[in-house]
Amino acid sequence: MIGDDVALPVLLGFGHDGWALALIAGAGLTMALSLTAMAIGTVLGALLTVAQMSRRGWLAALAQGYGLVLRGVPELLVVLLLYFGTPGLLAAIAALAGLPAPGSPPAFLTGSVAIGLVSAAYQAEVFRGGLLAVPRGQVEAAIAAGMGPFTRFRRVIAPQVLHHVLPPLGNIWQFNLKDSALVAITGLAELMRVSLVAAGSTRRPFAFFAAAMVLYLVLTSASSAVFRFAEARAGRWAGGR
Amino acid sequence: MTETRPTVLRARGITKRFGDREVLRGIDLDAARGDVVSILGGSGSGKSTFLRCLNLLELPDAGTIEIAGSPAPLAHDARGRARIANPRALNALRAKTAMVFQNFNLWSHMTVIDNIAAAPVHVHGMARAEAVARAHDLLDKVGMTGFAGHWPRQLSGGQQQRVAIARALATDPDLMLFDEPTSALDPERVREVLDLMRALAGEGRTMLIVTHEMAFARDVSSHVVHVRDGVIESMGPPALMFGPDASPVFRGFLSPP
Amino acid sequence: MMGESGTGESGFLADTALAIVAAVPVTLALFVACAVGASLLAGVLVAAQQGRVGGLVARAWIFVFRGTPLLLQIFMVYYGLAALGPVRHGPLWPAFRDPLFCAFLAMTCCCSAYIAEVLRAALAAIPPGQIEAARACGMARWTLGRRIVVPQMVRLALPAYGNELVMMLKSTSLASSVTVLDVTGVAQQVIAHSYRTVEVFCLAAAVYLGLTAALTWLLRRIERRLDPAGGR
Repeated sequence: MIGDDVALPVLLGFGHDGWALALIAGAGLTMALSLTAMAIGTVLGALLTVAQMSRRGWLAALAQGYGLVLRGVPELLVVLLLYFGTPGLLAAIAALAGLPAPGSPPAFLTGSVAIGLVSAAYQAEVFRGGLLAVPRGQVEAAIAAGMGPFTRFRRVIAPQVLHHVLPPLGNIWQFNLKDSALVAITGLAELMRVSLVAAGSTRRPFAFFAAAMVLYLVLTSASSAVFRFAEARAGRWAGGR
Repeated sequence: MTETRPTVLRARGITKRFGDREVLRGIDLDAARGDVVSILGGSGSGKSTFLRCLNLLELPDAGTIEIAGSPAPLAHDARGRARIANPRALNALRAKTAMVFQNFNLWSHMTVIDNIAAAPVHVHGMARAEAVARAHDLLDKVGMTGFAGHWPRQLSGGQQQRVAIARALATDPDLMLFDEPTSALDPERVREVLDLMRALAGEGRTMLIVTHEMAFARDVSSHVVHVRDGVIESMGPPALMFGPDASPVFRGFLSPP
Repeated sequence: MMGESGTGESGFLADTALAIVAAVPVTLALFVACAVGASLLAGVLVAAQQGRVGGLVARAWIFVFRGTPLLLQIFMVYYGLAALGPVRHGPLWPAFRDPLFCAFLAMTCCCSAYIAEVLRAALAAIPPGQIEAARACGMARWTLGRRIVVPQMVRLALPAYGNELVMMLKSTSLASSVTVLDVTGVAQQVIAHSYRTVEVFCLAAAVYLGLTAALTWLLRRIERRLDPAGGR
């Protein structure tokens, strides 16, 4: 794939010299990376929320400290630290267990964990707010009706929390999606990386960065449409807003 | 209180402390099937706390409770703090009672019909179709026919409270607990709720009612209990409590100088 | 360069810390410039949204800059625009050749979009009755804006605006990707010489943590000062 002499439509097309397929595959990987990061963030964020609300002081403080650090440090540093730090950390753990060093974990894994760790700090705040927004009286009504903790959570707390957290979760998702571009520094061929490679090898950076922007805009606006739909469904009982 | 009817509630020595404040200082109360007991008292007397102790929304620090033959699974740890000894027995106990709250506390994410059918389906394991059919009957009974698909936010306070009463009736409880059911209502909405409660009393429901509605207590209750400073100051049938031989303290409560 | 001057473990860490702290002014200068630039630009965007054509332009601006990663925007300005003839041969070429300027430009555009949304929400949250009340007592348009709308907007927008500022402070680290020697840039430079990745990045992270904590503290103080119901 050579540069200057090939026409721009060809470079952006689906043909042999075109980058369209690579860019779309990159967008797919960006999506997969962001989804994985979001899922990691949701699980860890929920655990952090439970820890924050725990009656054990040290556990609550630990969760709070995690949030402060991860929300106070640039996402780029978290990605860099994990990318460069995990091989050494894994080697140290393996040495303790008397095993040979396992080498670097896949870039997809470190990337999604890095973005997920940051996401978790923000999601924990959102979940806590959502839980606090459930009226105490409605929980008492569930208790008085004989619902056990699981039924109470499933039937009364979770549906209301969902309604409160969907809009801020949509925001966090957008940030995840855009933060996933940072994983390009690890060499993973997501959308940002593909556009960098294409820009470099064709010497047409403007066209390829513009193409990447368009694809990111497709991803962000499509997912915000999905969130709007979900919000409308989860919030019918609360009236229009 | 009567020998022939079975006992539904037997509470003995109920004590509750919040920090340094002793809110309940040993309350004994019995109720037989069909009793309608009005619990009166000033604010801060502990009457609502007592009601909330009966279905263990608050854990009493001391005392025993038995509802329709099931003892409350209360235990105390080494430092004397109350705890639940057996969560399953607790849910069984709560399933025999139902509570109507001052602020209705309808589940705002469920329609009216789902509010009523929730406990039968999710606590008692009733088939959904049956629970919904029964919920419609209950809506008719509380005068809310046609509101099945409404959300709680679309209803007035009085309508919400009538739905809350239907929700309480849905599990056919042995004992109904009313915690100031009309205190949050506009004056013109109070009657529709009191009329409904009067009808329930007429069909033999066992009811414990914390209330400020003196006329209702006098006309509808089988027993009136006056709680003051965390103890029962006096109790008796309304004819006695509202008659000339009532305790001077209760008379003072009814008509402050 | 780090390796020779340091004496052993503590020497290396001390030298690195010094080098990183020496880069704090670059990070702060970039942050302050972007904060000022983005806030002014956001004001323009909100004002433009009051008209029809301006509204369309402002909405498109916000859509593009909020919908794409800042890293891509920085690359677009630094590498993408530089490849265009009019830029390369235009009078502004010296500026567009400077990575610091390009990072500043991209960040200002990006953050202006976020801040414009914050300001718009604050504007919408001012109770319309208060504006009517001001009109009813004959307040002129300009006085109404200066005495009623802007003070209310500042107070309503401050918490969310503060969040955007913290985000912006963290985002300055992306400037390192176009060779700006800010805190992150210096950290990467030290690593290129020493290969002591984890320690160096942790030091840099600590510096950012200190900066964001200081900023958050400052914002809290201002918020409390402006809260009419607040302490003192």
